[in-house]
Amino acid sequence: MEALELYTADVQDDVWTEELKLNLGPQHPSTHGVLRVELKMDGEIITAARSDIGYLHRCAEKIGENVSYLQFTPYTDRMDYLAACNNELAWSLAVEKLLGVEAPERAQWLRVIACELNRIASHLIAFGTYGIDMGANTPFFYAFREREAIMALLERPAGSRMLYNYVRPGGVAHDIDERWLPDVLAFCDEFERRWAEYNQILSTNKIFIARTANVGVLPREMALAWGCTGPVLRGSGVRWDLRRDVPYLWPYGEVEFDVPVGEGTHGTLGDCWDRYWVRMREMIESVRIIRQACARVPSGDFMDKAMARAYKTPVKPPKGEAYMRCENPRGELGFYLVSEGGASPIRCRARGPSFCNLSVLEALLPGCMIADGVAIIGSLDIVLGEVDR
Amino acid sequence: MKEAELHARLAASGLTGIGALDTSARDPFVTVEAGALVAALTFLRDDPECRMEMLHNVTAVERADAMEVVYHVCSLARHHTLTVKVRLPRPAGGTHDTWIPEVPSVAGVWAAADWHEREQWDLLGVRFTGHPDLRRILLPAEWIGHPLRKDYVYPGEHGGIPLELDAVPLYERAPGSPPPPARPARAAGTPLEQPPAPFSTRPLAAGGKTCEPGQGGGERGGAH
Repeated sequence: MEALELYTADVQDDVWTEELKLNLGPQHPSTHGVLRVELKMDGEIITAARSDIGYLHRCAEKIGENVSYLQFTPYTDRMDYLAACNNELAWSLAVEKLLGVEAPERAQWLRVIACELNRIASHLIAFGTYGIDMGANTPFFYAFREREAIMALLERPAGSRMLYNYVRPGGVAHDIDERWLPDVLAFCDEFERRWAEYNQILSTNKIFIARTANVGVLPREMALAWGCTGPVLRGSGVRWDLRRDVPYLWPYGEVEFDVPVGEGTHGTLGDCWDRYWVRMREMIESVRIIRQACARVPSGDFMDKAMARAYKTPVKPPKGEAYMRCENPRGELGFYLVSEGGASPIRCRARGPSFCNLSVLEALLPGCMIADGVAIIGSLDIVLGEVDR
Repeated sequence: MKEAELHARLAASGLTGIGALDTSARDPFVTVEAGALVAALTFLRDDPECRMEMLHNVTAVERADAMEVVYHVCSLARHHTLTVKVRLPRPAGGTHDTWIPEVPSVAGVWAAADWHEREQWDLLGVRFTGHPDLRRILLPAEWIGHPLRKDYVYPGEHGGIPLELDAVPLYERAPGSPPPPARPARAAGTPLEQPPAPFSTRPLAAGGKTCEPGQGGGERGGAH
């Protein structure tokens, strides 16, 4: 409200103003994909906002009901395409829960390393594109340089650079080569050094802080009520991370790492800068996890033997249902599977974190300037492929 | 708390319409009657022992005899989760076209339900009564039908664009899975191949030539 008074106080009585309807998107660099936001504007102040999604809807849930359990894994890559390994992990764990199988120990640790590498790559995109949203182009190139190294690393066992199809029900698709773990550790050392550069160039930049601190404040209660998860929830000061609180993959319970939360460093708790800073610190925590995991990868099978055979015949889980949630870079991804004993589920529901995080946008935008609206959309870090599925 | 304790607490709350805990599936679930849903979920949210702060997921499952609406709620403070279901029996002869199951909306309990319920309405055709704004969310507003219903038939065209689904199978079906529902014959007025659009006869500019095919002088005539 203060902003409203500030910017309407100088308007003279004889200036004729009217409410303006403005379309942000669907093709706009700051919407990070095909998102359309209908805005009602009073000058530069947003008075109402309505999100229009669905431009990227590909009936993923319908496809899931029509292909076999194992065939659906690569489709999950295409939901949150920046964190393919994490999506596969959630799907694999849901299928394994339904089947009652567990991946061998080596596969569990390889999954942790792959998923954490993917988390760093995903947060790097969030970091780089957020800089672009705020008018800082350089961090983007820094971020893509390191992301390129991660993609090259994951390409070696997975065979592809972005949509890996690496984590599969029963284990992982391929074993690693003998030079892989040392190379991952070398990357970790290099990354920590470069992470300090990111903070010099963006995190501590005065203009960047001015654009993001005290902007888009999401209080704790609001974040919980709207179902926000991941860095958006933690940015509001809620220390909740499924990896720590519900270790869905048991190695997460055996490694040490912190769960960074927003602290209101430069302004109000839960503002854009807090969400940004949670992501930045999570990258370093992921490096910590990877270091410990690399030391603990045992020898042995990388795929459950029974499941390896099952890949040649259709898998038919018993009647039942399973809900599996995992901590993705963007929040909690949940898969709800209902089996009636057939070769494909009768319901395959994906609860995407971006979908829920985006739904809070309509409540956050009213009352702020349009330039801050861009900062808020960027700080939610959505992937439209997962919002629309 | 485990699901059994949560269920015991819910059953002891004095609300009517709370069913038994079903532990036959991998995740145990509580079935409540549609009339008791909002009260039961509000209790789960406000009870100091349950403290379900977050509605994690809302979905619906179409079974042969009923539509099940499923709510996954979780507590961050207490580290527990619960699955709550509402069964809406299918009336005799109830199909995609004739049967719209109805369940009260919980958007007033958790704001997160807003978009989840809109999605279930959009894709499965479950009407959430009392929802503030039950519009389609993923599909275009003019879309007909709810695609995740089992007896949904694919449209022959959308927006004048024929959808040729029969020529190329979308995917290989898993061996042993039931055959897909038969697709309807192509709707009248949507031929497989549209006739080529006529060339434009708009004048190029003042005094310019028109683009009539076969008469020369046009863009495709090649005379110039």
